[in-house]
Amino acid sequence: MATVDLTEPPTVETLCPETPSSFSSSPPLSPKSATPCPQNPTQSPSSPSSVLATPLARLWRPTAQRNLRNQWSKLASYRQQWASSSSTARSHATALVNAYLSQKYMPSMELGALRDIPNIKKKASQKLFKQQVLHRGKLLSSYKHMVSVVIHMVNISRSMKCFLKGASSSPLVHFSGYSEDKNDPGDGGGIPVFTFWTISCFEEVAEELVQMFILELNLKRLLVVELLSISCKVPPLNSLHWSDELYPGEFSDLSICNLYSEETCKPVYPRLDDQKSGMPAARFNQQPDHDVLQVYLTTWLAEVNIDSDRVDEIFVEVGDEMHVMIS
Amino acid sequence: MEAMVKKYQQRFRKVRDEMDRWSSLQSRLISQFRNASSIIQRLQVLLDSKKYVRLKDVVGIQEAVLAKQMESLRKILFSMNKTMEEFHGIVLSLGKIHRDGRQMVKGGGSNQLTVKQLQQRVGVKPRLADCLDGLMLLQDMHCSEYLLKSSLVSALSALTFKPRCVIASDLGALQQLLVDQPNIPNEEVQFIFDIIFAEEIC
Repeated sequence: MATVDLTEPPTVETLCPETPSSFSSSPPLSPKSATPCPQNPTQSPSSPSSVLATPLARLWRPTAQRNLRNQWSKLASYRQQWASSSSTARSHATALVNAYLSQKYMPSMELGALRDIPNIKKKASQKLFKQQVLHRGKLLSSYKHMVSVVIHMVNISRSMKCFLKGASSSPLVHFSGYSEDKNDPGDGGGIPVFTFWTISCFEEVAEELVQMFILELNLKRLLVVELLSISCKVPPLNSLHWSDELYPGEFSDLSICNLYSEETCKPVYPRLDDQKSGMPAARFNQQPDHDVLQVYLTTWLAEVNIDSDRVDEIFVEVGDEMHVMIS
Repeated sequence: MEAMVKKYQQRFRKVRDEMDRWSSLQSRLISQFRNASSIIQRLQVLLDSKKYVRLKDVVGIQEAVLAKQMESLRKILFSMNKTMEEFHGIVLSLGKIHRDGRQMVKGGGSNQLTVKQLQQRVGVKPRLADCLDGLMLLQDMHCSEYLLKSSLVSALSALTFKPRCVIASDLGALQQLLVDQPNIPNEEVQFIFDIIFAEEIC
């Protein structure tokens, strides 16, 4: 009995308090302080209850360090990719809106000398209609790219741990990103990986970071649905609903980001970080006017869910802790 | 005399460097101004909750978008003020170049130059009087333009919550003034430099 207690100490559970790889739909607000994880004395590296014995910890640490550096530099690169595809998407959205508004105002447009050309307005309208189809496709593919960026971020934020691979009795020690032994929490027994932070500290800030992008993706999906629905035709040809799948496989992508509700079989409705999820009201069939579209485009630009100062701060803090510059 | 003229030409080269710096600041200020004015123009629309239509279902969205836009505007206005400080730096530096130039002819009592010497012309080289006037004019132009720009920037921030129709026309007028730089007429500047560096043109 005594040996079992040693190999499976009850403290293992408390070392890793948060469920590592799940984003609950309403996560607790992460503390936004400069030092997210105060050192817990029970997590001292020399603690006999640590899962990895000290010699093993010596081997674990460099691998865990390499892994963290890789994951965080990938996170930084996906952050850049998000920024560029969000801005590409915005220019497609702007082009779509402009083509739509031009088509809408075409009947009342004063064409001056061009007035006498036969069917000029009709032809211009058709051309503007085609442009809208084109921009709609581009907007959708940018959105798709943004979803894939967020999926990568989610996966990275779940890959901070470093597990022992193979039998611990083997003379060669290997580590991997996947757990083979449920007794191995993959956090080196809660020892600091570099200087102060444990694996769960890194996971906590990664989750805080990724959560911003998830919420923003969700809000942008609402804008995409609205923008793809604009049309001069009555009744609108391409009217979309929140519950429609925008591209094949979107719902399974969204469920990776916890943005798809299995209960309602619909995507989760957007909400802001500090707010409850609203319920979508009945659809207005009225087409949005210039100002409404302006508000939509501004909302796209504003990225209200992404506190870029905080994001910068996170990368600086993590970089300091890992002794590298991440950008 | 010739050595003096050389010294003045040296100063004009410095002035030219400062003016190059001015041009790059000018393009920076214009783009900052454009960004700020597009936010100011949007604010009126963003204040109208009726315009959010579908977004209204997202609790708090209007406040959040407005807050973000105000924050961006604040940042832009802040960096515009930074740019203005750099403009001011150029004005001060031009002032110093001008003062030093005047010091050269009015220095100690012994080497004080006569009016005749100031007006004396050697070949295509500029007269000392041309040099002095040139430095003064260039400094004056940039100083007045700096004052104009300062008032344009404060007028811009004062427009923030004005009614929409006022904003659209006022912003256009302010931007035009900013781009035109009425106090620094290009031909006149070119004329001054042509006289000072006449020998290089020939």
